[in-house]
Amino acid sequence: MSIFLKDIDNERLVNWDFLIDDINNTSIYNPYCKSADYYTVFKHIILSLLIDEEIILLDSDFTESELINLTGHSDFAEFIKPVDKSTVPILGNRKELIEKLSNPSENWKITLYTSGTTGIPKKVSHDFKSITRFVKVSERNEKNIWGFAYNPTHMAGIQVFFQALLNGNSIIRLFGLDTKEIYTEITNNGITNISATPTFYRLLLPCNETFPSVKRITSGGEKFNKNTFKQMNQVFPNAKITNVYASTEAGTLFASQNDIFSVRPEYESLIHFENNELLIHSSLMGRTETKIDDWYNTGDVIEIVSKNPMKFRFVNRKSEMINVGGYKVNPLEVEEAILALTGIKNVHVYSKSNSVLGNIICCEVVANSNQITESSIRTFLQSKIQEFKIPRIIRFVDELSTTRTGKLKRN
Amino acid sequence: MQEKILVIMNTVLDNRTKEKLTSITPEMHLRNDIGFDSLDLAELTVRIEAEYDIDIFEDGIVNTVGEILQKLENK
Repeated sequence: MSIFLKDIDNERLVNWDFLIDDINNTSIYNPYCKSADYYTVFKHIILSLLIDEEIILLDSDFTESELINLTGHSDFAEFIKPVDKSTVPILGNRKELIEKLSNPSENWKITLYTSGTTGIPKKVSHDFKSITRFVKVSERNEKNIWGFAYNPTHMAGIQVFFQALLNGNSIIRLFGLDTKEIYTEITNNGITNISATPTFYRLLLPCNETFPSVKRITSGGEKFNKNTFKQMNQVFPNAKITNVYASTEAGTLFASQNDIFSVRPEYESLIHFENNELLIHSSLMGRTETKIDDWYNTGDVIEIVSKNPMKFRFVNRKSEMINVGGYKVNPLEVEEAILALTGIKNVHVYSKSNSVLGNIICCEVVANSNQITESSIRTFLQSKIQEFKIPRIIRFVDELSTTRTGKLKRN
Repeated sequence: MQEKILVIMNTVLDNRTKEKLTSITPEMHLRNDIGFDSLDLAELTVRIEAEYDIDIFEDGIVNTVGEILQKLENK
């Protein structure tokens, strides 16, 4: 039996034949996909490609008010439509499915939401070419078994999904499992490839066992600390460890064996540095609603190591986005959510560096009602924003601390 | 000190509307027994640091209540 997906948290063990039967028998489609079940999300993406319809991925933990802000709807039942069976071929086996998926129409697109820099999350769409730009299909990859360690509705998760899908690999869910379960899944399924954030790897350590089946480890989304790197080498003695730089707007762009990134010759003309900031050409980007110029400023500050060949290192981010374990949080969005609570006069959201998650969200609150407590703020926010955006430390102050220029301090 | 750590842990659990603990023992595993996830562990380290001025996860993740107590005692 050849596994398509194993997800012990949702009690799913799906083989490729079941997937193909299930797709052949599906008669309805909804472009909006919001589900905590990985299989539902993956099947939905495959179906959208086969019937050539847009798919819009929503995080399963989006609150009702986030959904309304983002899409204008909180319920998506009205978008269900029948699948036109006459246009969709009946699939026979995995090979046929992959062949069909590898040549989709140019109109197909996948849309996801990312924390925007202006306070409102923004919509980003990718076509098949841009979402699979870094997918490598080869005989060598045929036997790979993927440990799936990202949220399936986020950019990184979708890229791992396509890498596994187009090579006909098995996907084993690791995201959201506890450490013991993760190690059990790696061993029992002989996982060969894992791609995850440094936070995910940090939480696996320390560990006295070794996992020889893992051949390839990829890390991205935040800085990878040298100590973690060293420990990882001991736990996964046969793994080649790679760091990647990626963004929701552009997907994976650079990879490196350490913290120095080199630019592949075919991309040299598509990236550009200005005042030590990284700019990427619009042809590398997904489509966003806001119009972008030819060059998009990533807000990432770099240090050039050598010019010929071009090599550089990331120093920090100029933007005010807070990276919480690989999830980007916009402090303005959190402030807006807190200010919506009656009795809050002013609020300042900021980050504090943290040994577990890289950064955590904190806030200072000026309240003008004694009804406001830490727990009343939390309860309110739980219905407004996703869990990882909710400040973990809430301080009540008489007035906010500001910088000399009158701007609120972010750090 | 064990009592104080219990109070801090219960603050973290309560913030996420998770069930509070009545007692802790050194053998208890932070994730498997108490049910802390990475967001909780991040908050726990900040709250312990505010109280004891030590970052318990500085050299890597600790797994049990006993390991935390030992770090604080060795301070």
